[in-house]
Amino acid sequence: MALFPITGRFVGDFVPHLVPVDTDDTMDEIAGKVASFSVGHRVARRPGDPGYEVLLGGELLPATTTLAAVMAAREILPLQWFDVRFRETADA
Amino acid sequence: MLLNRDDWYETSRDLDWTLSYVDPAIAFPARWSGADGVPAEAWQAWDEPFRVSYRDYVRIQREKEAGVKAVSQALGRAGIYEKLDPAHVAASHLHMGTTCMVEHMAVTMQSRFCRFAPTPKWRNLGVFGMLDETRHTQLDMRFSHDLLKADPRFDWAQKAFHTNEWGVLAVKNFFDDAMLNADCVEAALATSLTVEHGFTNIQFVALAADAMAAGDINWSNLLSSIQTDEARHAQQGFPTLAVLVEHDPERAQKALDVAFWRSTRLFQTLTGPAMDYYTPLDQRKMSFKEFMLEWIVNHHERILEDYGLKKPWYWDQFLHSLENGHHAMHIGTWFWRPTLFWKPNAGVSKAEREWLNEKYPTWEDNWGVLWDEIIRNVNEGRVEDTLPQTLPSLCNLTQLPLGSAMSRHDLAPHQLVYKGRLYSFDSEISQWCFEQDPERYAGHQSLVDRFIGGQILPPDLGGALGYMGLTPEVMGDDVYNYAWARDYAPAPTA
Repeated sequence: MALFPITGRFVGDFVPHLVPVDTDDTMDEIAGKVASFSVGHRVARRPGDPGYEVLLGGELLPATTTLAAVMAAREILPLQWFDVRFRETADA
Repeated sequence: MLLNRDDWYETSRDLDWTLSYVDPAIAFPARWSGADGVPAEAWQAWDEPFRVSYRDYVRIQREKEAGVKAVSQALGRAGIYEKLDPAHVAASHLHMGTTCMVEHMAVTMQSRFCRFAPTPKWRNLGVFGMLDETRHTQLDMRFSHDLLKADPRFDWAQKAFHTNEWGVLAVKNFFDDAMLNADCVEAALATSLTVEHGFTNIQFVALAADAMAAGDINWSNLLSSIQTDEARHAQQGFPTLAVLVEHDPERAQKALDVAFWRSTRLFQTLTGPAMDYYTPLDQRKMSFKEFMLEWIVNHHERILEDYGLKKPWYWDQFLHSLENGHHAMHIGTWFWRPTLFWKPNAGVSKAEREWLNEKYPTWEDNWGVLWDEIIRNVNEGRVEDTLPQTLPSLCNLTQLPLGSAMSRHDLAPHQLVYKGRLYSFDSEISQWCFEQDPERYAGHQSLVDRFIGGQILPPDLGGALGYMGLTPEVMGDDVYNYAWARDYAPAPTA
């Protein structure tokens, strides 16, 4: 496990943030960290709390995949841009 | 018998001689002059219309100084400053902190013109430019010193550029590039022509008009006096462009395209929020966009046409940015207000919002919904949720937040890997600027780079505020203590 800085954008907000995450974090955990800086601050909460999901280069990442697993499959440099949005997919 | 001015003027401003003891390439190295690729004789065509002699210059400047000082002293005695709207006053804090030392940097740039410009006419005009910029620095310092007793934020006229405050780093980065790191030709195109002849009209004409309407006659008078000098020494840009276009039009086009975008982003930060949010509603003359369209866009289009150049490839994106960029910088600076050395006005009361929607038809959908969440938090007692918990991601060209060039609907990653490092940009245009000369920009570390590189300790927002030099007596907060949000509070029930 290691701290790793990413650029986290919550879809709908106007600005991405510097988000410190851990390589052992799952995408669910990363989504929560990214959302915590936008949702309830400048982006309104959604009724029914649909949860969040993570996209990398437009590709939806499985909720239980860790950042370390993503990094093993492709090059991820510090400050890589990740998108997070309210969950749209039922089986993610 | 005394000679008439016309008998000696050309000789005095065009005095030159053929170097014989030193190689001209050593005396005027191309990396300083910027004259590479332009034949030496081509610079003989360099000319400017002001035709100032030193005697005339001193007389006129003395009169200007006397005028500024007389107004300043009279208003000081009348206690005008204490009666100004605090939202407007924040604009003068912002101006002094971010501009005073830029004037001082300009002294160095003009000194380079005096010594290394490729024609004696230019070197001669550079002397007046250097004296102008010295005067502007001193005017800002004196204005701020006089008001230091009223507000410690005026200390930032001198202090700001010795801190790592993020906005100051962005301003400094731009002028390091356009003034100090630029050869004479580049500096004349980026600073004299683009910034001084174009964009300073927003800061020194439009803001001066707003300041006058707000009753801040002292500051308005200072800005106007400075602008009279800018109008003269900015003339160094046109003849330089004329020579360069004839011999290297591709370089001229690229230099102007980079400078125009970088200047746009800078003034969206410095002037946009002040004009559209800090100036009290009933005292606003024009919107930032209206002023940009009338004074900058038309002006730049005319220059490009006159000199046979094309509009930048990004023109449509630039026009879209005019609708959004300064609104992004405003909500960003307000939200990250503890990182400022001035107190921003939110400027989104119901009446102000109506004005914003009238001037910017997409404002509500792009920005209003974000403010709605902030307003809800304020009115439900959760001010802590309207304060930052981390840093925004920053652009490696402009040093401004990613997302602050366009609207939230346009936000998309613009990242590239250069020599193993990932660089981020606030727009396709900023990435293009970087790609034109990556070595020029690659070494600079943004505040975010410094944070993850371990230079900011403790590694949290508090550590970042300390790193930026922000102390409680100047740290930004909402200037009206959120009174504007009451417009939206539910009516009390009986």
